[in-house]
Amino acid sequence: MDDTPLLIYLAVLLGALVIQTPVISGPWFFLLRAFFPNWKFFHAVGHVPHLYVRFSANEANWSDWTHIYPREARRLRQLLHNPQTNLALTQQNLVEHLANDLNQLPDGRDARSLVSYALVAHWVQILGRTLAPQTTHCQFEVRMVLPGPDGPFEQDTMVVSPVMPCL
Amino acid sequence: MPLSLGARWLEWLLCLSLLIQTLEYLRLLPALADDGYAPWHLQRADIPQAWIRRALDVLFTPAALRAQLLLRLVVLALVALQGSSLGLVLFLFISHLLVLIRWRGAFNGGSDFMTLVALSGLLIVHSVALVGNPTLGWRAGLWYVCLQSVTSYFVSGWVKLLQPQWRSGQAMPIFLDGAVYGPLPSGHLLRHSLLGRLGAWAFIVWECCFPLALWHPLAAWAFCAVALVFHFLVFWFFGLNRFFWAWLVSFPAILACSAQGIF
Repeated sequence: MDDTPLLIYLAVLLGALVIQTPVISGPWFFLLRAFFPNWKFFHAVGHVPHLYVRFSANEANWSDWTHIYPREARRLRQLLHNPQTNLALTQQNLVEHLANDLNQLPDGRDARSLVSYALVAHWVQILGRTLAPQTTHCQFEVRMVLPGPDGPFEQDTMVVSPVMPCL
Repeated sequence: MPLSLGARWLEWLLCLSLLIQTLEYLRLLPALADDGYAPWHLQRADIPQAWIRRALDVLFTPAALRAQLLLRLVVLALVALQGSSLGLVLFLFISHLLVLIRWRGAFNGGSDFMTLVALSGLLIVHSVALVGNPTLGWRAGLWYVCLQSVTSYFVSGWVKLLQPQWRSGQAMPIFLDGAVYGPLPSGHLLRHSLLGRLGAWAFIVWECCFPLALWHPLAAWAFCAVALVFHFLVFWFFGLNRFFWAWLVSFPAILACSAQGIF
C-alpha cells in the first residue's frame, strides 16, 4: 500500500492550518459561509456576548435586567426533534453576530443601521409578550462576559439600546 | 464497506438527516413570520443587490417557504426509495442553500456545513456520471465527503491542541457551563482537574489521529464507532442533535473509502 497520497494530504492540511491567510469578508461571504467551513468548534475560551433585557409598563418603573440565554431541559427524544433548542442557539448566534458587527462598525456609523441590531431590537420588542405581557416599553444591552471555571471573570457593557416600544 | 453499499447508506442517512432538519424548519416557520423572531422585511437588508432581494421576497413568503419544505419531503422520499439523481440532488442543494440564506447563512453552524458537503458530494457523483462513468462519479463524490469529514475532526482537534486552556483541562467545564443543558453540576467528574484534563486530551488525541482512519478499514470502523459516541455526547451536553445526524451521513463515505485502498 502506497501511503504517499495520505502523507501529501496531511502535509497540505497542516500547511493550511499553519499559514495565515487574509480574512475575506462581505455580505455574500457571510450569507454563503457554509461553503467555507473552518471546522473550528469550541476552540478557545473568550468573551461571550450576553443579551440582557428589561421592561416597563410606563417608562418609569423598570424591571430588573433579565439575562436571555439558551437554557433548555434535556430529553432523549430531542435527538430526533429539537426545534426550540436549535432556535435558542440561533438566537444566541445572532447576539454574537451583533457583537462582532459592533466591533467592526466604522467610526460615525449608527449601530441601528446594522441588520443584526435591527433583528435583536425586533426580537426584544416581541419578547415582552411572553416575558412581561403587561408592559409597553423595553430596552436591551449586550454585555461581553469572560467565563472562568468558577463563574465570570469579568463583564463589560458593549451597547445599550434606547427605550423602545414593545410590539 | 463496498462502494455501492457506502453510496446507498450515504443517501439513506442524508435523507434521514434532512428529514429531521426539514421537520424542525416546518415547526419553526412562525419564527420567520412578520411578527416572529426574524421577519424577512428586516433581514432582506442583508442582500446587497436589489434584483436578488426582489426574487427572494417571492421565495421567502411564508406560503412559498412552506411549499418548498413540503416539496423537500417528497424529494427525500424519492431519494430514499429509488436513489438520487442529478435533478433531485440539485433541488435539495438549492433548497438547503435558500433555507440557509433565510436564516442568515446558517441555522445550526457546522451541521449546516456538513449537510452541504454531503449534498455537494452527491452533486459531484451525478455530474461526473453525466460526462463519464458512474463508478468514477461515486468514487469522486464519496472521497470528497470522506476528506471533508476527516478534515473536520483533524482541524477541530488541532486548534484545541494549540490552546493552553484545552491542554490544562480547564476549557471543557467552561464550555459545558455555557451549554444549552448547562451548567455542569458542581460535583461533576469533569470538574475534577485530573479527569477534566484526561477527557480533554482523549478528545484532542482522537480528533488529531482521525486521518489514520484512512489507513485500514478496521481503523475506519473504530474511529467511526468512537465518533458516534462523541457526537451523542455533544448532543447530550450541548443539545446539538443535528450535528449527530449530519456527521453520521459521512461515515459510509469514510468506511467505503478506507476499504477502497486508494492510499
